[in-house]
Amino acid sequence: MAPHSGEARLRGVTYDERAAAGLLAALAVVLMAVTAFPILYSLWISFYGLNLRRPNRVPFVGLDNYAHVLANPQFWDSVGRTAYFSAITVVAVLVLATLIAVLLDQDFPGRRILSACLLIPWAIPSVANGLMWKWIYDSNYGALNGLLMQVGFISSATIWLGDSAKTLPLIANAFIWKEVPLAAILLLVTLKAIPADLYSAARVDGATAFKRFCHVTLPAMRPGFLLVALYEAMMAVRHFDLFFLLTEGGPGGASDVVAWRIYVETFRNLSFGTGAAMSYILAIATLLMSYGLIRSLAQKL
Amino acid sequence: MSRDVIMVRPLLWPRLLRGAVLAVASVVLLAYVLAPVFWLVSSSVQTEREIVSIPPHWIPDEPTLQNFKAIFLTGLGYAQPTPTGVDPTSGGFIPSVAGNLLPAMGNSFIVSIAVVVLNLLVGVPAAYAIAKIRFRGRNMALYVILATRVIPDIALVVPFFLVVRKLGMLDSLGSLIITYLAVTVPFSVFVLASFFEQMPDDLDRAARVDGCSRLQVLLRVFLPLARPALVAVGLFAFLASWNEFLLALMFTQTAASQTLPIIVAGITSDFTVSFSFLNAAGVLAVVPPVLLAVIFERYIVSGLTAGAVKG
Repeated sequence: MAPHSGEARLRGVTYDERAAAGLLAALAVVLMAVTAFPILYSLWISFYGLNLRRPNRVPFVGLDNYAHVLANPQFWDSVGRTAYFSAITVVAVLVLATLIAVLLDQDFPGRRILSACLLIPWAIPSVANGLMWKWIYDSNYGALNGLLMQVGFISSATIWLGDSAKTLPLIANAFIWKEVPLAAILLLVTLKAIPADLYSAARVDGATAFKRFCHVTLPAMRPGFLLVALYEAMMAVRHFDLFFLLTEGGPGGASDVVAWRIYVETFRNLSFGTGAAMSYILAIATLLMSYGLIRSLAQKL
Repeated sequence: MSRDVIMVRPLLWPRLLRGAVLAVASVVLLAYVLAPVFWLVSSSVQTEREIVSIPPHWIPDEPTLQNFKAIFLTGLGYAQPTPTGVDPTSGGFIPSVAGNLLPAMGNSFIVSIAVVVLNLLVGVPAAYAIAKIRFRGRNMALYVILATRVIPDIALVVPFFLVVRKLGMLDSLGSLIITYLAVTVPFSVFVLASFFEQMPDDLDRAARVDGCSRLQVLLRVFLPLARPALVAVGLFAFLASWNEFLLALMFTQTAASQTLPIIVAGITSDFTVSFSFLNAAGVLAVVPPVLLAVIFERYIVSGLTAGAVKG
């Protein structure tokens, strides 16, 4: 496996190791500059009372920023909204992507056109996605009202994004539309990797198509499900663009999620110290969440 | 696919049923994916009068390209925006932001191309080293790269903003190009490394025996074979930069550095802009990435799956 490792231990740094260092140097510099440094710098900022409204007085406050954030009930409300938004997203993406993957796994004319079209939502910029859905949800001239009234589902124009009970599911719907294609592509790969033997064995045992799907396909797709759940949860928790474009945290805080709160705290209240503390809490929460999901993935394999 | 070959040829009616189910499912999927985009495009070519009709005209009665004409003429300096105070519904109204769209598109192109070039320059050598050289700390390197993918971009915004501001680089394309590396490079390295890993080790060994240095092996043996992976990685970096919104929102302030998403976002909250113009701006932002994605579908799908399996 590693022909040079014995040699390396004997003679210190081998040619290969020097070559690897040279080839990795540019990456190391870039990652230091644009990820490691900012992460450490924001940890440092989070211990200071940095507010750009009074840039000349930056007192060291220790963990006060964290205490301040964690003691704020509004912060916990936004955590709840982020969790709700992420849960809707992950569940809906898993269900839709599974159905699409099963469809694209079949052999039929037009399958290639279908999978090419599937990339369209994935490629659309999130800003254009936000603009598109904002116009669809428009309470005066939007397509959603137009369509529902034409089919007789509702009798008069309904307010969509402006209704605090509907806001988060509607934003989630716009997000899901864009996220489903990638998830379907990933699940299709897991689906194609299932050995055909498993199916023929089940068929010999007399299992119906539905039973084969439940007892062969679904269990075999578990690694794919966990990968998609992990990725989508990460994306949903950090998502900002649609909240900015569709509602700006409104109406009345109904879409005030953690990512939006960080933005407001930092760039509208100019309180960089608490903003950094909040984004650190988000980063650590994301890390723990992914670690937990990866652990469960490793166990199930 | 091979599963069906094993299957005994089924009776006629189950085959018909299967065909019908597949056809219905395909139509439903196509409608789900395309209907919102269709409505975006349809709205962009409607007149001011038509777009506010109830019920909506799904297919415009009198399609017009006036919005796109306005964008291109004002962008190139051949037309001026309609002065303030003129009734927007009077027809031929050109909003003041119309002229910003083409320059913003130019900015988006410059930033995206620069990010693609830097991604390849940084990512290719690193990915080759990770895939083909056994060195101490290789696993560490992999974990570090993996960890950077977990950091939410919004957590990077605060420190980035302060540094960029201190360096006097606010409102410049340079700040965007550098910070976009944080969101693109780790993924590029993963896609490229998983591609290099699939190439036989013998290729590497043979070239080394022939006296090639590591760099020569990479340049002469691996690079020519890696074209599909390079295309895929280039596309991902381009699309990610073209579509990026959060960092651009923080760092850009004037039309000199604003990218297309920023101008488009400004239009969505601008009440003087007509609905059809809004949608035309959206179409402008959507066309380049969607064209690239559909044309290079194969490369993208294989790259996405490679990157995901590793990452």
